[in-house]
Parts: sequence; structure tokens; C-alpha cells
Amino acid sequence: MTATDVVAEPDLPASDGSWAVETRGLAKRFGSNVAVNGVDLLIPRGCAFGYLGPNGAGKTTLIRVLLGLTRADAGTMSLLGYSVPRHRDKALARVGAIVDEPRFHGHLTGRQNLQLLAAAREPAARGRIDASLDRVEILRRADDRVSKYSMGMRQRLGVAACLIGDPELLILDEPMNGLDPAGMHDMRDMIRSLVAEGRTVVLSSHLLDEVQRTCDAVAIVDRGNIIRQGPISELLAGTSLTLQVDCSDPDRARSLLAGTNLGAAIDVEAGGLAITLPADTTRDVIAEVARVLVTGGIAVYRLQPVQASLESWFLQVTSRLGDPA
Amino acid sequence: MIATRFLELRKRRGLMITLVLVTVGFPTVFLAVRLLLHAVAPKTYGPAGGYSIYTAMSAGVLYTFGFIVAATLGCTAGSVDLSDGMFRHLVITGRSRLAIYLARIPAGLAIIVSLVAVGFTIVCAVCVYAAPSKLSYNGVTVPAGLSQSGLESWAADNATEVLCGFSYNGQSKQGVGCDNGPGGSARVVIAGPGGRPVPASADQAKAAAIDIAQQNYPDYKKQFLYPSNSLMIKTGLWIELEATIGFVVGLGLGSLLGQRTVAVILMIVLEIILTPIAIRTRIPHFINGQRGIVGVATAHLEPAQLPLAFGGGGQDFRVTESTTTAICVILAWLIGWTVLGAWRMMTRDA
Repeated sequence: MTATDVVAEPDLPASDGSWAVETRGLAKRFGSNVAVNGVDLLIPRGCAFGYLGPNGAGKTTLIRVLLGLTRADAGTMSLLGYSVPRHRDKALARVGAIVDEPRFHGHLTGRQNLQLLAAAREPAARGRIDASLDRVEILRRADDRVSKYSMGMRQRLGVAACLIGDPELLILDEPMNGLDPAGMHDMRDMIRSLVAEGRTVVLSSHLLDEVQRTCDAVAIVDRGNIIRQGPISELLAGTSLTLQVDCSDPDRARSLLAGTNLGAAIDVEAGGLAITLPADTTRDVIAEVARVLVTGGIAVYRLQPVQASLESWFLQVTSRLGDPA
Repeated sequence: MIATRFLELRKRRGLMITLVLVTVGFPTVFLAVRLLLHAVAPKTYGPAGGYSIYTAMSAGVLYTFGFIVAATLGCTAGSVDLSDGMFRHLVITGRSRLAIYLARIPAGLAIIVSLVAVGFTIVCAVCVYAAPSKLSYNGVTVPAGLSQSGLESWAADNATEVLCGFSYNGQSKQGVGCDNGPGGSARVVIAGPGGRPVPASADQAKAAAIDIAQQNYPDYKKQFLYPSNSLMIKTGLWIELEATIGFVVGLGLGSLLGQRTVAVILMIVLEIILTPIAIRTRIPHFINGQRGIVGVATAHLEPAQLPLAFGGGGQDFRVTESTTTAICVILAWLIGWTVLGAWRMMTRDA
């Protein structure tokens, strides 16, 4: 099936526009290598959406297909309700994106690069250049040549390039790359403020902690397939709770807890225990653990419940878990 | 969009310096040196301008190097978005790739056409205003712009210079000729008794000089002190056409290959190796192929008063073609390379 066939498929429902991004059966191959394998992806409007996956999982390829930078081999897709590639121009007029490392004409200033891009957009885009530069905090350096910019500044300029189109949808591929901690903090705040303005931000990143802090929902992609997607809170809700216990006699403590019906998996660690409890564990269960230990004469120095992080969950669900380093 | 494409090219400092040096700087320096030398030592160094300098600078320098720098600019315009990573940004704007490609054509032409025009204007100005006041024809100082009767009249008054300086076929009228005596003084002679040269009479010398002037007039009338206005206009348009072709073909090739260096090398090979060979050599069974080379077609459109481009010498094309064919070949190259470049840009992964 070719990209042209994709457009002509009559039996697939047209997008009703309720999704910012909607793909069905999207596929892209490079020879025998399947980079995107029948992906069904639904990204709701007005949220920050994380798009996660190990290296080589097909994240950037999917973004490139969505943006018309390369052609799909099969499937349908729509951006902001516009079917692409049929209405690619209308869709992309409302989209801003950074794909891979943002690169610009090094001999031009940041402002001139944006003028070049604004000229390819609607006339109003030219009037947004200064505001965009100001928003990413490089207005002061706007008239310096880009060849003198640091990686972080080019990253910011890339975001400014997205903003000149006043986009409803931003697709940011590794936007934190090259940013210092303060820059990452600023970027996180900016993404949240963009979402607060009603825009949709799709964030592809390896920095799971940043994604967890920034995004409302995520999709996990591995070997070209979406293996999980949904709100972060819902996805993590199904994960187990770990109780970290620092105590005086870990071996005896383990024996005491093994005699209860807590349904916990107990591992002895240096100086204590790691007790893995079911996802729906209540505070009363934690209190019961403390009571059993104290009653059994175990000195408890610390007892801390630890909810699974996005990172640990990501490692659990992706096939890279257990791969040799 | 055209204005920003123009800005992007204009801001390429190294490229622009090269373009200005070749199209404006080289002719300017060459002519300035000639002006200076003539001002310092007018007897040793001839005038800076004149017809011969004009033809050398226009058909020899601006034509060939104008094409090469235009091609370099075209190859740059066709490939830098890709190599600089801007192509992706431009595609993401949603603007059609065809429009992005086509915007480069007027932007690039605005640069190269104006630069070539400046260089050519300097050449014209110097060649006209610093032209010699008298024409040197076969080493004889002759008034310029004479009609045939005027040249004959002048020859009658300057019979010795004509008979001893002008070239002529075989014997002149009534066997009158030039005898350069042992002292270096030339005299007009005629065969006397026993074949010994004796001084010719004034009437015999005049008649012979008029005869030689008639023989030389077709060649003489091609000699000018400086180029005419119509020749300068025709030459300017011809050089601009060559530069336009260089830019458009370079743009298409640069876009097709996606990188500048190889594209520029190919364009230079086309201009300074393939085209001269195609013009001068008649390759059996490949005449139509030779006619299909754009340089052969543009050389065919060269103004008649100029020496053949690429040093062929005159209008004696070994590969001949009609003007219609030449125009069709040029249009085919312009349209063909634009279509190829645009097609590659529209189908390329960004």
C-alpha cells in the first residue's frame, strides 16, 4: 500500500476533529526494517502528551510521518481533524514542530531565520517573531548569528520557530536537549503555559522524569508499536507500591511478615526490607506492617511507601528491560 | 518569501564576495590597471577601452565566468536548505514544497542578474569612454567608421600606408606594390623595364590604393573604436541569458543532488570542458546530441560582431543549428531542470 492508497481508502471514518492527533494502522518501513508498525494513536486536544520509547523505537519516524517529512507506507492519520497528507497544508498551518536537533542557517541571525520561516506562513506570523523570541527568552540575542548560539539557544530558537505560527498543536522532539537545569525548568513551565492556553503539546523525550512532571498523558512506543497509552495517573495506578523499611533485624522481620496474609513480596536489602504490595494497598495495610514489626520486637527506623515512577513503569513495560547494557 | 530567500543568499558573505569579485571586481581591476598604465605611459600602453577589449571582456570573461558564478549561486540555493537543516522547518510550515522551490528563482536571479549587469556596465563604460581615438588597422592608423567611398578616398590620399600596410590578394592593380628600401623607408613602386621596380606615379599609386581599400572594406567595417549601443544591448542580454541559464540549471542540479560541491564541479565541467568541445568538434552520429548542449545553443545566439565564445574564432560554427532550435534547446534546459529540481524537492524526505 502506498501513501496515495492511504488517502483513497473510503472505509475509514473521517476524523471528527476531537483529537489533536489520530492515526490508524500507520506504518513506515525502511527496507526490511519496520520503523512504525500499524500504530493507532489518539492524542486528545488541550493536553501535554508524552511520547516515550527506547532508542530506535520509532518515535521520530512517527513524528516525521505525521508532519509529512516522509511518506507513510500504510494507514491513515489526521492532525487537528485534517486528514493528512490530503489536507497537509491546512493542518501544518496550525502546527509547530521541532524534529531531531533544531538546525538553522548559521550565517543568519535568529531573527532572520524566523523571518524566513514566517514568510512561508501566513502574513500574521511575521508580527509574532519578537513575541516568540521573548517567550523563549532569547530576544536579547535575536540579532546574533545562529552560528554563535549554544545548543540550548538553538533549542529555544526552535521552539520560537514553532510559536510564530500560533499553533494549536506543538510537536517537540527532545526539546530538553542541550538545556541546563534552569532552561529545563523554564521549558517545562512554558509547555505547561502553552497547554494552559488551550494548545496541545506532544513531547517526545527520553527524560522520563521531565515527562512525568510535564505531561498529562503518555504513549509508550517500542519496536514500532504503541504498547500502552493513556493518562499518566491511570497508567501508574495499576502499578505496585513498594514499602521501604529500615529495621534492626531484616531476616527476622521478613519471617514475621511472611506469616501474615498481607500478600506482599518481601526482599531483604542492606539494612532493611523492600516490601512490594498490590496497587490498591491502603494506609491500613501499611499500619499493619508497622504493627507486626514493632510487636515482634523489631526496631523500625524508617518506613516509607514509594509509588512506582514513570521510569520504573517504562522499564517494566518496554522490551528493553533486562537487555544487556 | 522571495525577499527572505534573497536575504538568505545575500547574507552568505563568502559566496557574495566571490560573486562580486568575479563579476565586478575582476573586470574593474583589469580595466583600472589599463587606465592607469595608459595614463602613465600612453605611448607604451594603449587605451584601456576600445572594441577589442570590449569583445574580450564580454565574450571571453563575463560570458564564461558569469555562467560559472551563476551556477555556483544556483547550486547553493538549491542545496543549502537541506545541508543547513532548514528544509525540514520550511516543510513543517505547510507551505507547498513547489512554492518554496520556485521562490528561489527570482531571489537568485535578482542577485546574479544585477551583479552581471554592474560588471558589464563597467566594461561598457570603460570601453566607450576610454576607447582609442584612432583605429589601428593592420598597423596603420585609419579613421574609424568610414563608408566604403570614404575609405577609398582616404586610401587615395594615403597610398603609401595602404600599399605597404594593408593586406591584399596577389598583385595590386597594374603591378603597383610596396618596396621597403634598405634604409627602412617604404616607397610605392611598379615593375619597370627588365622587371626592376621603379617609383610608381601618383595616379598609379592612388588607383592601386583604392583597389586595396575595396578589398579590405568588408574586414575594415567590422573594426570599431568602441562598441555600438545596439551591440552593447545585445551583448548584455546575451550575457544575462547565459547567467540565467547557469543559475536555473545550477538550482535544479543542486536540488537534485542535495549537495553543492559536486553540483558546482559538474557545472564547471559542462561550461569549460564539454561545451567548448561540443562547439568545436563534429562528433559523427552525435550532432543532434551536440546541438542539445545548452552552451552550443547560447553560443549560436551570440551577437554577430563578437568573436565566437570559447575562442572558436568568428561565426564559423562546426555544429550549426537554426535559431529556433537554439531557443528550443535553451527553453528545454530551463524548464527541464526546474521540473527536475522541483520534483526532487517535492519527493525528498525532509
